[in-house]
Amino acid sequence: MSGTEAVNTVEVRALTVRHRRTTALDAVDLDFAPGVHGLLGPNGAGKTSLIRVLATVAAPSGGRVELLGSEVGAGSDHRSRAAVRRRLGYLPQEFGYYPGFTVREFVSYVAWLKEMDAAAVPAAVERVVARVGLADRIDARVKTLSGGMVRRVGIAQAIVNSPDLLLLDEPTAGLDPEQRVEFRALIRELGRSTTVIVSTHLVEDVAAACTDVTLIEAGRIAYRSTTRELTELGGTGDGGAEQPDGNPIERGYTAALRAHRAGVANR
Amino acid sequence: MSTHPAHAALPLLYVRSRALPLTAATLAGIALVAAWAADWLQDQPYFDHTARVPVVVLAPLLASSAIGTGLHSHSDELDRTAVRRWWPLRLVHLLALTAVTAGVLAAAVPGHPEEFGVPAMVRNVLGATGVAAASAALIGARLSWLPMTVYGGAVYLAAPRDPGGAAAVWAWPMQPGPQGAAWAVAVTAYAAGAALLVVRGARPERG
Repeated sequence: MSGTEAVNTVEVRALTVRHRRTTALDAVDLDFAPGVHGLLGPNGAGKTSLIRVLATVAAPSGGRVELLGSEVGAGSDHRSRAAVRRRLGYLPQEFGYYPGFTVREFVSYVAWLKEMDAAAVPAAVERVVARVGLADRIDARVKTLSGGMVRRVGIAQAIVNSPDLLLLDEPTAGLDPEQRVEFRALIRELGRSTTVIVSTHLVEDVAAACTDVTLIEAGRIAYRSTTRELTELGGTGDGGAEQPDGNPIERGYTAALRAHRAGVANR
Repeated sequence: MSTHPAHAALPLLYVRSRALPLTAATLAGIALVAAWAADWLQDQPYFDHTARVPVVVLAPLLASSAIGTGLHSHSDELDRTAVRRWWPLRLVHLLALTAVTAGVLAAAVPGHPEEFGVPAMVRNVLGATGVAAASAALIGARLSWLPMTVYGGAVYLAAPRDPGGAAAVWAWPMQPGPQGAAWAVAVTAYAAGAALLVVRGARPERG
């Protein structure tokens, strides 16, 4: 589904994340290869915990995490994490920005954090800002932009280093429908050469942009398939009371969740 | 016309991200007020140079609050994906601000080193900044002013008039300059606070 072992850019084995007494992820195994992968699940399912571990901003409680050929799990050294971070792009669910910074300065700051070649930074910044459609606002202060524009600044900083692994947590939050369509086209294009992992609760984002989907429920993998298979699971929508409302992929999502919950209850 | 930061100016984005110009201006303001207050207190007919105690206690407290709150990052989640190491930046950041603060506040209380002059001021800057740095690492930069303010206020009200003894330890901000035990506490607080901050960074905060 996500390619062969040889081309996997993300390999996670028995990944466990605990926050005090809560288990956010419970012995999760996952592989991802280049392409656009959707992470779906209810609020609190563990999607953000997974993304934060993959972004190397949170340490796992247990298990093995290998990104782009480097081990970055608990106990990994700075050199390993730095090697990954150089090739990593990350859009957090909530990313803060510095009030006095312009779009150009903010994206440049992230490029500096990534230790990009200083000579290459100006062109890279202008390229990615244009790519998210903000070329005419590049010297505007971020705090003067609308929520959707700020989100696009977040996407620009995530791709400034031309990452091989791009992690997007709720990337379309705050975007209007037209911007959403443009964004989906952008990540489909990026997914041709990059491993893009999109965490979202919007099933339509997955349907429009992702080649496969991983459904997370209560810290466990509830379902994995191609987007097409999840859509087929939703059926035609004429199944009477057993079929919830919505489009096929939404029905597939609900059916997969229910099947997982029934399986857990029968154990 | 491109208005991109020059290559050499990229590190200045870090300086601006931590609002260091604002912190520097605040420290300068505190130093000016401290110099005026110390001079005014000394000139009062019923006071002498020992009357500079409020300045020697309060000015470092205010300065450490400015330094501590300035450690806040608006973009902590992205900062944590940095390739570059943070500890050298944090170390230089804290040392530079401590040195500047100690210098300008020391200049505000000239003379009488045996009482509440330059040595007492420098010691209190070190101790208060250490507590603020530790607080930023443990409870977050935006609340880092609180522990030293509560402690400094309590000590100011409760410390005995005569220096030395156990008070040299628990009321170190209120001791005259040469008091060795007070220096030991302040230097230890600075070393511990700086080490905590440099290794852990300021505690992430929401919003």
